[in-house]
Order: sequence, then structure tokens, then C-alpha cells
Amino acid sequence: MIHTRKSLWRGAIAVAAVAGFVTSAAAQMELKIMAPAAPGGGWDQTARSMQQALTQSGIAKSAQVVNVPGAGGSVGIAQFVNSGKGDGNQLMVMGYVMVGALLTNKSPVTLDQTTPIARLTAEYEALVVPADSPIKNAKDLAAAVKADPAKVTWAGGSAGGVDHIAAALFAKEVGADPTKINYIPFSGGGEALAAILGGKVTVGISGYGEFESQIKAGKLRLIGLTSATKLPNIDGQSLKDQGINLEIANWRAVVAPPGITAEQKKALVDAMDKLNKSKEWTEILKAKGWDDAYLSGDAFAKFLAEDQVRTKEVLMSVGLVKS
Amino acid sequence: MDAFISLANGLTIAIQPMNLLFALVGVLLGTAVGVLPGIGPALTVALLLPITFKLDPGGSIIMFAGIYYGGMYGGSTTAILINTPGESASMATALEGNKMAKAGRGGPALATSAIGSFVAGTIATIGLTFLAPFLVELAIQFGPEDYFALMCVAFVTVSATFGDSPVRGLTSLFIGLALGLVGIDILTGQSRLAYGVPELFDGIEVTTLAVGLFAVGEALYVASRRHIHEEKLEPVRGSLWMTKQDWKRSWKPWLRGTALGFPIGALPAGGAEIPTFLSYSTEKKLTKHPEEFGHGAIEGVAGPEAANNASAAGTLVPLLTLGLPTSATAAMMLAGFQQYGLNPGPLLFAERPDLVWGLIASLFIANAMLLVLNLPLVGLWVRLLAIPQPWLYAGILVFATMGTIAANPSPVELMMLSAFGVLGFLMRRFDYPIAPVVVGLILGPIAESQLRRALSISLGDPMVLVQSPFSAILLLIALVALILPFFLKGMGRFKAAED
Amino acid sequence: MTRRIDVAGLVIAFILLAIAGAIWWDMSSLSISSVYGVGPKAMPMIVAVGLAILALGNAVMAFRGELPARDSLDWKPIVLILGGLAALIALIRFGGGFIFATSILFAATSTAFGRRAIITDLVIGFVIGVVVYLLFSKLLTLSLPVGPLERLI
Repeated sequence: MIHTRKSLWRGAIAVAAVAGFVTSAAAQMELKIMAPAAPGGGWDQTARSMQQALTQSGIAKSAQVVNVPGAGGSVGIAQFVNSGKGDGNQLMVMGYVMVGALLTNKSPVTLDQTTPIARLTAEYEALVVPADSPIKNAKDLAAAVKADPAKVTWAGGSAGGVDHIAAALFAKEVGADPTKINYIPFSGGGEALAAILGGKVTVGISGYGEFESQIKAGKLRLIGLTSATKLPNIDGQSLKDQGINLEIANWRAVVAPPGITAEQKKALVDAMDKLNKSKEWTEILKAKGWDDAYLSGDAFAKFLAEDQVRTKEVLMSVGLVKS
Repeated sequence: MDAFISLANGLTIAIQPMNLLFALVGVLLGTAVGVLPGIGPALTVALLLPITFKLDPGGSIIMFAGIYYGGMYGGSTTAILINTPGESASMATALEGNKMAKAGRGGPALATSAIGSFVAGTIATIGLTFLAPFLVELAIQFGPEDYFALMCVAFVTVSATFGDSPVRGLTSLFIGLALGLVGIDILTGQSRLAYGVPELFDGIEVTTLAVGLFAVGEALYVASRRHIHEEKLEPVRGSLWMTKQDWKRSWKPWLRGTALGFPIGALPAGGAEIPTFLSYSTEKKLTKHPEEFGHGAIEGVAGPEAANNASAAGTLVPLLTLGLPTSATAAMMLAGFQQYGLNPGPLLFAERPDLVWGLIASLFIANAMLLVLNLPLVGLWVRLLAIPQPWLYAGILVFATMGTIAANPSPVELMMLSAFGVLGFLMRRFDYPIAPVVVGLILGPIAESQLRRALSISLGDPMVLVQSPFSAILLLIALVALILPFFLKGMGRFKAAED
Repeated sequence: MTRRIDVAGLVIAFILLAIAGAIWWDMSSLSISSVYGVGPKAMPMIVAVGLAILALGNAVMAFRGELPARDSLDWKPIVLILGGLAALIALIRFGGGFIFATSILFAATSTAFGRRAIITDLVIGFVIGVVVYLLFSKLLTLSLPVGPLERLI
């Protein structure tokens, strides 16, 4: 019931924040954080975790989360850019998925219209196969994809999303035609996972967290991660360590509306700096299993600009975006 | 018999006074919010997640169980009383339930829905207790081709909602299918018929369509005919409670609804809507009172309501055994589990049996609580219908828009609601059946995406559709259901000619 | 009784045909196809063709005058209710807030159903709006559209 399921998810919710301790001038900040997605998803969880950490640590006096779901964030960003202009107390959570979604949706509003503030977290993609699959590692998969990309079916998230991009890059990296991969998008995490567990597809690709409990239970085999090297808390090799030059992270970040002053921008960046160093935030990262990928201010702006160009190239090379 | 012992342990956890209180709060909140169209159990859980963060894991998960069942229940109350399905799974209930309410039989309709929900919820929770590990193995074997075959069965049975003209019924269905095309094509990421409106990218909300067609459309229609046809509502005609006859006509649909709802709900992409439609058409086929269908047949309320609640328990099968969230509410509950660092999945039963069995036990308790709370309220609910007509309909419209505003305060969404209201009005005026539109919107996109997934995996070979045993059987059922009526009609004619 | 051509029925048939055309036109502009199996164009094609055939069926019914009899229609209440909805949308779009919007919709609908006590009904709608707003924002922490009045609460 995937299509109607999202209907239940829709919602614009603001949770009145628990008033934090007033400790400094910046603590007067009353933030409004937009999660351009329905409650429950990754962006929403990021926004609500920020809300919790910001108010509990006293970095902001209050923080309110507003959900504006729709089309990979396209609806949210349009509203954010139009109604938030010049407001130094607003933030929007976004991530790599939005970069791709804005391109595939041909959104009239782009990320260039926002003011980048900071990248917060990252999650790496995991490639998994059913436990009884003949594919034992990434090299086996590479050989299979190279032999006939049509016969290797991939289950992952929405078309043009990070899962799809990673699958296409994998094919490209191992010398197969990335436009010929047999990628099957599923809309809910559960449905894709069921297809992988049931052996309906060859390989599954998604954020590591989606598969964690199945891997630990021995129902799925982890054959590769898209991190640069082996991760300390995960028992599995990266693709790079197996000789496949693919590195991609599903990062999440916050941006501010257009037209804010330099002081307002600095205040927001400072607040994020403090958030990143706070004990509360560190604890949340640990509890949720998110990797700290902190990058703020101009460095993040540069990264965002580069990633947009790179993503567009990838999407065009796999035929998901034309021109 | 391990399950028995574990369940007994779970019960001792669930009946601790604090946990009972959590279950009660959950049930009350779930029912209260569930009556709002557009705000289902998922959103309620999402709203309460930050609040429950401070509770211990056991308490908050027990509260979620209460919210879940309460929310499922609340949706049907409004469907019956004011023809406003609180969620898409309550649509089938509205079809006959509201007709019953208008005929002064709102009491029995609410009662059969409450008792049916209890019966179905209890049986399905027992199923969850004892069959979960076995059922889930079957469920994950259900591939895209099998879902497509299941959709074929559902499509064939839609004709039960058609009324007397096949052309008009099909017209309604195709309008629904056309609406189902709107939005981003999940398999290629391109938008269809959205004309660049971002609000349309995610497709048309089933609740917006259903509330627009049912509630707003009806308000317009009744208002436009007031000068010639004054509608008189009698809240109670005959008995407020179910008569012996009502019981006799309800118990089989309850069981059949449960039998449809639980297994389909356990399927990772099964959902709650399809079993309710299947149950509705099954009851219409099997009833001894076919003439009452469309005018308030109690079987048409008893069956779908049972199916609805049984599927809610079914959804927990993949969630608890595999960690697969197969509905929005399940996804929210998963987020709730994760909040405490728990990962539902194959290991959860082994690692935290106290939690899992405490949850299952509180499902039983939540179910019983709902029955105890709701039966006495039936009398109160039906009195709502005694409100003077101008205020009743004004209230219905406020209520219908409020649900949409709270769920998504976008002017575009409200415009769609109004437009669907006008559509519903026109369809009533020209005597087109309403339900097939909603059915088309729900089934069309699933049938399309599952068929395309199946054919993509098979590299375009259509034989895949009949190679799986599930799909072969389901397609056969669909075929039989399609041909049998014609065949029987032919036989009838043959016999008539012989006489 | 002689059967006459039903003009409204013909209009319906024409609208169905127009929708079929719109779907077909939209379908033909899809540029990306699936690599394997069936592409995104198949379903729109089926729906468009189906609607076109049904348009024909509806037209035949209209020519034969087979549409069910219709009662006379009172347009005033329809205009009132739709006006109420339009006012609601406008108020929410331009920041009038939830309470005023609800109050107007309530009064408009109630008037459409024959009541002639607009002031009383506005007050009732207002009270409902305030109660619901308080319930939602304070109890459920759900944000309803805010206008000048809601800011005061």
C-alpha cells in the first residue's frame, strides 16, 4: 500500500520546544527548523534531534520543527526560499537526496538560492545479498555486473536517489554500461528489504542502518560499503578496499534562507559549531548510529556546489536526467 | 508451547498499573485523533514520539499499540456517522455504514464495527502470537508478480461497487485510474500529469479524494436538493443495539474479514485497503440480502471493519519478526523502537522478549479496552445525527477541511479537496458510483508499479506472471471471478429456455 | 415518452474524451523509458484508450437518452458552500488564520442549508475554531495555520 501509505505520513507538525536554559546571547535564538519531509524519515529525525540538542544544551532558546513533505524536498525548498527570505532564524534540513531530486524533478528552485550553513552527518551505502547468494564479495558482484548488467537486479530507494546513483556508479566503475543496470526502485524501506530477503533481486543497496539488524542476524551478507576505508563499528570491507573505486555518502546538512545578512549567517554557523561540539549532539549521533561529517560555512558551500555539479554529471551519464 | 509461557509473561508486564494506564492513554489519544480525516495512526504516533521519549521503552511501546488500534477504530466512527472516512481503509465501511446511519441504524452499524474490530483484532493478535515466524517466511516469498496477481483479483471484485450500469461503473473506475497516474513515476522518477505543480509530485492523497467525494460532495448534493427533497434523519429507528438478526448476519463476515485482513496485512506491500475491498465484495456476493447492499447492509460494515483491524495486526508480523516497516504506522513504531536503541528484527524476540511479548499482550488489552470504551459511547455518537441539518453539514465540512489543514496546510490540497467535492456532487447528480474512483486511485498505481517491477526483473518475459505458484493461483481466482457470473447467467438462461 | 438526446450526457462524454487526450499528450512527452520491461508510458496509454472508449459509451447513452432522470437544481446553496470553501482557502493562503476561516465556512454552509442567522452561526463557527485550535496546538502540538487572532492565543 505504498502509494497511500505516504498519505498517512503527510503532515505539518510543529512540536513546541521545551524551553532551554538561557546561558548566552546566542541563547535568545528562536529557531524554526523545516524538515522538507514527512515525520519519521531521515530529515525529520535529523530536525527533531537538532531541536532536542539545541534546546537542551541551551544553544537556542527554542526550536520548532515544521514538516513540509513532498517530492524529495522540492515542495519544502520552494516554500522555504519564498517565505523565509531574509529570516535569520530559519533553517532547513536537506541532504544528498535533495540534490538529485531537484534535478530529476526539474525544480524551478535550486539550492543555489539558499545560504549553506553546515553539513552535519553522513551515512554510507551498504551493498547486501541474501545469505544463500553465490555472490560472496564485491568482486563477485563486479564480475556478474560486467558479464551482463541486465541479469543483476538491484533493489533500492527511489529512482535518481542516492541508492540508484551508487548502483550506477558501481557499474561504471567496474567497466559496465551504467545506463544498462537493472535497478528496481521501491518506495518504502520495508518493501525493498522484503524483496532482498525473499531473493527476488540479486543485490540490495541502501543506507547501512536499513540492513543492520538483518546482517547481524545472518540473513543478509554485507559485501561492501561506500566509505573510504573500513568503518570502526561495522564488520565489513569498503568497496575501495576491494579495489572498486567508489566512494559516496548520503550526507545531511542545514541551509538558511536566501538574503540573510553576514551577521545572521555567522550567528547560525556559530550555533551549528556549538551544536556539533555539544555533549547532547554527540550522544544523539551515537544513539542513532550517524557518522559525524561536520563541515561548516564556506567549506560546506564549496562542497555543496561541487556535489551539485558531480551529481548532475552522474545523473546525465546514467540517463536519469536529460540535458 | 513456548509462546504460551512468553505470552503469559507478557501479560504480567502489560497489566502492571502504569502500563495499563499507558495503554488507556494510547487508546484514547488514538481514537480521538483517528476520527480526524487525514490524520491517521501514523501521524499520531509521530506527534507523540517526542513526548514518549521520556517514558521507559516498555511503556511507550505499549502506548503506541494503544494508539495504533485506537486510530484504526476512530476512522470508522466518522465513516459511519458522517460519511467521512478517517483513513482510506475505512472507505469500504462508509459505503454501507453511512447508509445504515441515515436509516436510523447507526447504533447497530457502530456496534458491529466495534465488536467486529474486537473479534478480528483478537483473532489476528492470536495469529501474530503463534503464526508470525511461519507467516513471515511465506510473506517475503511474495514477489512483485504475486502482488500484481493480487491486484488483478482486487480489480475483478471492484465491480461489486459498480451499481447497475457497467459503463458508468467503469467510467468511475477509469477516472480513478487517471487520477492515480498523477505524480512521479516511481520507476523512472519522471512526473506525469503534474504540470509542474510540486504538490502533485507525490500523487493525489487517497484521503483527500475520499473525503472530497464522500463528505464534501454529499453536502453539496443534499444542499442542492433541499428545495424538493427535505432530508430527515432519525438517529435511532428500531433498536439502538444489534438485534439477534444483526448478530446472525455479522459473525460470519467478521471471521471472513479477519481471514482476508490478517494474511494480506502481513504481506510487506499488502496494506489495509485491499482486504477491506475484497471483504466488501465477498460479503456482497455471499449475502442472503443482496437487495440491501447500497442501502445499508450490515454485512458490508461487519466484514470490512474486521478486515481493517485484522490487517493492522498483520502489519506487525513483518515488523516484529524482520524489522520490516510495511505501513506508515509501523515505520513510526520502528522509529520509536530505535529511539531506545532497539532494532526490531530477527534478534528482537531473542534479545528483548519482555518488550515483544509485553507489546503483544498489550495489543490484546488495547483491543478489549476499545470495546469497553466504545460500546457505551454508541448511544452518544448516534445522537450526533440529531443535530439540526444546517449545523450537522456545516460541522461535517469544517471537520473535513480541518483534517486536510492539519495534515497538510497547503492551499493546493484544499483546492483539490473542493474540486473533488464538486466531482462528487456531479457524479451523484448523474448517478455515477463514487467508490470505484477511490478504488482506482488506490489499486492503479500499485498494479502498475508491481507489474513493471516483475517485468523488469524478468527482463520483459511475461511468463514470470504465471510461474510463481501464488500468482498462478491468484490469477486463476481472478479469471474464475470474472467468468463465473457470465457462465451462471448463461446457465440461468439455458434453464429458463428449458422450462 | 419520447427519448431525447441528453445534452449534459454529451458534455460528460466530451470531458472524458478531453481527459483521455490530455493523458495521451502528457504521456507522449515522457522522455525517459525503463531499461527493461514496461516503461512509464504503458499505463497512461491504457487509461487514455479506456477513457476514450468509455467516452463513446457515455455518448451513446446520451444519444439514447438513457441517463437517469434528474431533479431540478438549486444553485444558490452550491455557490454558498463553494464560496465558503474559497474563502477558507484564501484566508489560509493569505494568513487570515484557521479560526476565521473555519468560522466563515461554518456560517456559509449553515446558510446554504437554510438557516438565516448568520451572526449566530459565525459565532458558533468561531467558538468551534477556537476550541479546535486550542486542542490541536496545546494538546497535540500540531500547527494549524496562524493568523492575527491565533497569535494572540
